[in-house]
Amino acid sequence: MALYNFKKIMVVPTAKDFIDITLSKTQRKTPTVIHKHYQIHRIRHFYMRKVKFTQQNYHDRLSQILTDFPKLDDVHPFYADLMNVLYDKDHFKLALGQINIAKNLIDNVAKDYVRLMKYGDSLYRCKQLKRAALGRMCTILKRQKQSLEYLEQVRQHLSRLPTIDPNTRTLLLCGYPNVGKSSFINKVTRADVEVQPYAFTTKSLFVGHMDYKYLRWQVVDTPGILDHPLEERNTIEMQAITALAHLRAAVLYVMDVSEQCGHALSQQLELFNNIRPLFANKPLIVMANKCDVRKISELSEENQACDRLLAHRVDTKMKTKKVHDVLNRLHLAVPTKRDQKERPPFIPEGALLRRKAMEMDAPKRKLERDLEVELGDDYTLDLQKYWDLMNPEEKQDKIPEVWEGHNIADYIDPEIMTDLEQEEELREKAGEYVSEEESEDEEMQEIRQLASQIREKRKLKILTSKEKDTQGPRMPRTAKKVERATLEKEMADLGLDMTDKDDSHYALRSRSLVRKRKREVSAPPTSRTRSQSASRPPRDQSGVRDAKMLKKVKTMMKSSQKEMNRQGKKGESDRHVFDVKPKHLHAGKRKSGSTSRR
Amino acid sequence: DHHERKRKKESREVHERSHKARKMIGLKAKLYHKQRHAEKIQMKKTIKMHEQRKSKQKDDDKTPEGAVPAYLLDREGQSRAKVLSNMIKQKRKEKAGKWEVPLPKVRAQGETEVLKVIRTGKRQKKAWKRMVTKVCFVGDGFTRKPPKYERFIRPMGLRFKKAHVTHPELKATFCLPILGVKKNPSSSLYTTLGVITKGTVIEVNVSELGLVTQGGKVIWGKYAQVTNNPENDGCINAVLLV
Repeated sequence: MALYNFKKIMVVPTAKDFIDITLSKTQRKTPTVIHKHYQIHRIRHFYMRKVKFTQQNYHDRLSQILTDFPKLDDVHPFYADLMNVLYDKDHFKLALGQINIAKNLIDNVAKDYVRLMKYGDSLYRCKQLKRAALGRMCTILKRQKQSLEYLEQVRQHLSRLPTIDPNTRTLLLCGYPNVGKSSFINKVTRADVEVQPYAFTTKSLFVGHMDYKYLRWQVVDTPGILDHPLEERNTIEMQAITALAHLRAAVLYVMDVSEQCGHALSQQLELFNNIRPLFANKPLIVMANKCDVRKISELSEENQACDRLLAHRVDTKMKTKKVHDVLNRLHLAVPTKRDQKERPPFIPEGALLRRKAMEMDAPKRKLERDLEVELGDDYTLDLQKYWDLMNPEEKQDKIPEVWEGHNIADYIDPEIMTDLEQEEELREKAGEYVSEEESEDEEMQEIRQLASQIREKRKLKILTSKEKDTQGPRMPRTAKKVERATLEKEMADLGLDMTDKDDSHYALRSRSLVRKRKREVSAPPTSRTRSQSASRPPRDQSGVRDAKMLKKVKTMMKSSQKEMNRQGKKGESDRHVFDVKPKHLHAGKRKSGSTSRR
Repeated sequence: DHHERKRKKESREVHERSHKARKMIGLKAKLYHKQRHAEKIQMKKTIKMHEQRKSKQKDDDKTPEGAVPAYLLDREGQSRAKVLSNMIKQKRKEKAGKWEVPLPKVRAQGETEVLKVIRTGKRQKKAWKRMVTKVCFVGDGFTRKPPKYERFIRPMGLRFKKAHVTHPELKATFCLPILGVKKNPSSSLYTTLGVITKGTVIEVNVSELGLVTQGGKVIWGKYAQVTNNPENDGCINAVLLV
């Protein structure tokens, strides 16, 4: 539907702007640097590109204009006619035709000049040709100035047209100027049409929307129509006529009973008869407006004739009109009679019976649902009322849980006690309730004692470690030096005899103490025992008998490393060669690798 | 509120324009300033014209023709001398037999400019063929010589049939078909080939103009001289020789 496209038409630039835009675009988007000494094909290509780029831009923009504007043959005849009335169909088509011609001319120019540029043998010649081509294209466009201006104005006006959908339900207001059509639409819809005492206040069509019976209705307000033949009508009136002619709507012919518009009732009647052919096939209502000023009953005898043309009030008017509208669309299709045999519609037996039953019977029993609906909030689900008791008055009594020392749940089933007793016997036999006696011998007892000791010790250790505040990284146990005193104390606690242990391996004096003697005579050396690492000799002394052998070992190590160090190797496994094929050994006449020196 | 907004927009335009003019740089600025300069000149002219209406001006038409100021009264009028010198020049020209053409002197085009050497042969060594690099005209019934024997190649892309001819008195330009090349000022070879360069005299079909001789016969061919470089502009502009 062409409705929305009217707002989406791209802006049509003026001729001057159009040229400026395209030329500056060419200058920005194509490469700009070229020198005389470049190869000729490169120069040619450079300038041909500019010509083609400009042509492409013009072509694109002009085609877009051509496609954006609605084709009068493709839109709804209402819009086609309206545009003809407003913008003159011939002028419109001519303008678009001119644009099309300009587009083709520009294409031809570009083609010719590109062909000529192939023979350009110097930068100057190619440049002049490009200049000529661009200049020609711009002159073609300069000539289209008028068309472009006209199209821009058309576009602006088109985008401001009210969106009238010719296919939905529409009410059309028509009548003389100043009879009250705009006031009516203002009242009925949310539209805000200007209402003034002078005639032809409304100069174009206005649309309002309203709701009736859950449906959207369009109300179209037209400028007033004067009574003269079609050829003499001006643009404003023609819009109203167009709307009348093409929109399938219910027509409201508004008459001013009080003659405040300046035209007598007879004149209004004349007009009505004149435009009657336009009302063919449309439901018609004649509205008598401004009844508050002059009541219908006050009309004189000759005016009564007009009243016979159904003067209704606004509300009743609605209903009849809509029904007519709908009736127009409904049609019951009946198959034509083939022969004399009667073929009434077929209804199966069951359906007929049920229909009869439905009509006669009331619902048999009252459902819970019905009760719920009745009671509303007070409803509670009371299943106790369905119990079958000997004494029906006891239905609503509360049941106790314990009575006279007995658990009532036990007595629900009279057999339940016997069942329970049977189960108990079974369980006893299986031996569930027998608890085993613990026969412990001495071993077990010892183990138990030890276990309890361990547990205690562990707890103590946990407590002590929690109390300790740890500073720095947590070192493993083997890295710490253990004091001799603590070691002996711990062992003593466990029951070991720790007296007289001075020449044990852990009581050796540490080496560091000997060295430090020169510096400080501070705290008396406590013989510290190193952990396991102290007890082993260092690796370069293990397996060495005496100092002489040690010296020899050291010299051997150093001599083996000398060669590697000299060659800059990382170690004995480094076999990297920095220069695999040095040039001086391989180049020249003596080159096949047999040269080790030069 | 369309009118309100329009009014405000127009009044803001002045400020925006001055801001733009100050801030723009580069090529856009050059173009804009050139355009603006032209506009301002026009504005100044109109203002001046308005002012003229108010002030009183000396009317130049009131002084009659030939009226000389007092200090020149005893000298002879200049006009006569001018006529005499023109007559002499005319006689000289007639003696020389030159035509009166709009462009009497034209730069000569050398062969290297007009004809390009085309190499042919199995090893591209033979260089006897030439291709015309300027715009040329070939007649209607023109057919090429067999390609093996043709010495001068006139490419189809450079063949033109129409020229834009200006009538010097009417100051109107028409697009007329060319009938032939009468004379190329650079060389007679070019004339026979039909090469059209600046200054070439061509014959054009003027039946469109509807000129009639005194005897009543319709003129349908006239000479015109080419005034531009057709190979640079892509079109032939000529001035009719009346």
